[in-house]
Amino acid sequence: MSGTDAPRYLLDLRGRQADFGAWVVGIAFCRETGAPGFGLGDGTLRIGLDGAVLQVHRGAVLSVAADCARGFLTGGDDGKLCTSSDGLTTVLADYGRRWVEHVAAHPEGLRVAASGRMLHLLDGQGVALKSLPHPSTVAGVAIDAKGKRVAASHYGGASIWFAAAREDKPRRLEWKGSHGAILFSPDGTHVITAMQENALHGWRLSDGQHMRMTGYPAKTKSMCFTAKGRWLATSGADGIVLWPFFGGGPMGKAPTEIAGGDGVLCTQVACHPEHEVVAAGFADGLVLVAEIASGKILPVAPPGRGGVSALAWHPQGHLLAFGTEEGFAAVVDFSPR
Amino acid sequence: MTEQVPVTVLTGYLGAGKTTLLNRILTEQHGRRYAVIINEFGELGVDNDLVVDADEEVFEMNNGCICCTVRGDLIRIIGGLMKRREKFDGIIVETTGLADPAPVAQTFFADEEVKRAARLDSVVTVVDARNLPARLADSREAEEQIAFADLIILNKMDLVSEEEAAAVEARIRAINPWAELIRTTRSAVPIEVVLDRQAFNLEKILERMPEFLSGEDRHSHDSDILSCSFQAEGPLDPERFNAWITQVLAVKGQDLLRSKGILAYRGEDRVFAFQAVHMLADGDFIRPWREGEPRVSRLVFIGRDLNRPWLRRGFLACQADAPAADFEREMARWSGAA
Repeated sequence: MSGTDAPRYLLDLRGRQADFGAWVVGIAFCRETGAPGFGLGDGTLRIGLDGAVLQVHRGAVLSVAADCARGFLTGGDDGKLCTSSDGLTTVLADYGRRWVEHVAAHPEGLRVAASGRMLHLLDGQGVALKSLPHPSTVAGVAIDAKGKRVAASHYGGASIWFAAAREDKPRRLEWKGSHGAILFSPDGTHVITAMQENALHGWRLSDGQHMRMTGYPAKTKSMCFTAKGRWLATSGADGIVLWPFFGGGPMGKAPTEIAGGDGVLCTQVACHPEHEVVAAGFADGLVLVAEIASGKILPVAPPGRGGVSALAWHPQGHLLAFGTEEGFAAVVDFSPR
Repeated sequence: MTEQVPVTVLTGYLGAGKTTLLNRILTEQHGRRYAVIINEFGELGVDNDLVVDADEEVFEMNNGCICCTVRGDLIRIIGGLMKRREKFDGIIVETTGLADPAPVAQTFFADEEVKRAARLDSVVTVVDARNLPARLADSREAEEQIAFADLIILNKMDLVSEEEAAAVEARIRAINPWAELIRTTRSAVPIEVVLDRQAFNLEKILERMPEFLSGEDRHSHDSDILSCSFQAEGPLDPERFNAWITQVLAVKGQDLLRSKGILAYRGEDRVFAFQAVHMLADGDFIRPWREGEPRVSRLVFIGRDLNRPWLRRGFLACQADAPAADFEREMARWSGAA
């Protein structure tokens, strides 16, 4: 590139950064303190960019979520489920040699952890509630917005469980193939999974209607709904792919693509908690924020410090945190000045 | 991009000596770090600081091909291992004795992220010299494990006579003439023979087996697996070869266990290496042709029910100076067979 109009990156103007030296696996913001927690491939959890360093797992952290109240819930390849707050880590469960690959928590006091074929449910105090079996390894978990239902993806589809059910019988959503990342729509009416075959699959829960969303050049690893659930933003293409969940969509509707065209794979997406704005991270390290309606792009961080592996908004939407495979991490401030 | 981690797949029937070999590799003082992925029904404990339990979850790819099966657990585990800070010198995947080796091998062709992180170095099959004839008689998997192997460790040699050993070797050679064969007792094989062999570096295999390329089919009367090899003297037209091999794999992929080739493309100064497991194929330029080296293309297939004349004529028709009509006829043959 030449000329004097090189993009100015928000990171230089309003960001703080750190080099953690290990793969940034996931980022979550604490529900009480608002501090970002970075889960890393060296088994540590970093609170903020220069705060506490907690050795939460022996191998790598595999999943991080904001815990029900204060602190962070993590799963690791040491088979443990931990919660960390105020500089202290507590082991909630040890599932042995099976990795704890996916965790999630809800403020109503529900924690879930996937380990092998089992989905374990715990309450906010750490009491084990139930362990739910699946036909194959659980490859993704999600809790609905109300904290009532839990969804787990696996080979052949997904299973929906009521956390408080007296008798545990899942609703099976079936679709041939291997399903990974999973989420509920914000209103709880749809469940979406990302598949091995570079496609998404969705189910409308009211009538079991299937939705197939195809055309991706790569596997979707990251997806999220915009705040009011109008758009599903996804990674797996050379831009942000957005599926409309309004006006009869996504069935029969083409997706909208924004922030594309460089031939670099989008690896992470994170929807702003309030506005129809999506943050995206790319395989070359580029981070940007895009407004859906206008397609306008705000460059956040330049390429060059490793593929973006984690990306998250503060629940109030004024901070964006991201991290890369090479251990670069940053927090960028979007609050008005 | 970081270098791909070499992966060794360790197969063999129950009791052949797989776990003994694994423990030997891991306890030898070699200063290298290996992650070991073992199946949940492992025979013995494995002593290593990085052992991952796997469930051998095999699933079909949704591409309409029933032979395109991959190991979902491996995709996840390799993805997870890559996130760890300390890196490995290699990954060893142990399979159960009854496992078909195809899904493991295909995982390294079918998934882009796995391909980026790891490369299949070799398939090592441990066989019990005394019990192999019985295993071959009653199990299709035993035969496939031999057909897939790059290295075959003929173990428990102390339990057989020289005549018996020779007979077992002949059985193995009839199924798989490519693989390197090592005789041993109590799985006593030096680590460098087993790991990071670059056995999928086809050149070495093909160099190792010059007599194999004489054009003779290997076919055992007790086995339905056979292998055949072909040589083309003239440079290949890459478009023709791609079109033809794609068609052959699409039609015949289920019966083709392994296919490998070293190809000389017209106007190209580099050696192209091709390989496939069933219908999943992969290929790349591996090095420049050496000065004075004969630029011939070689292709080998191991599989069931192979039509040698069809394969030979088709391969030869991919030569750039072969008449277009020949090539079209060979293509039409496979379309008709579909």
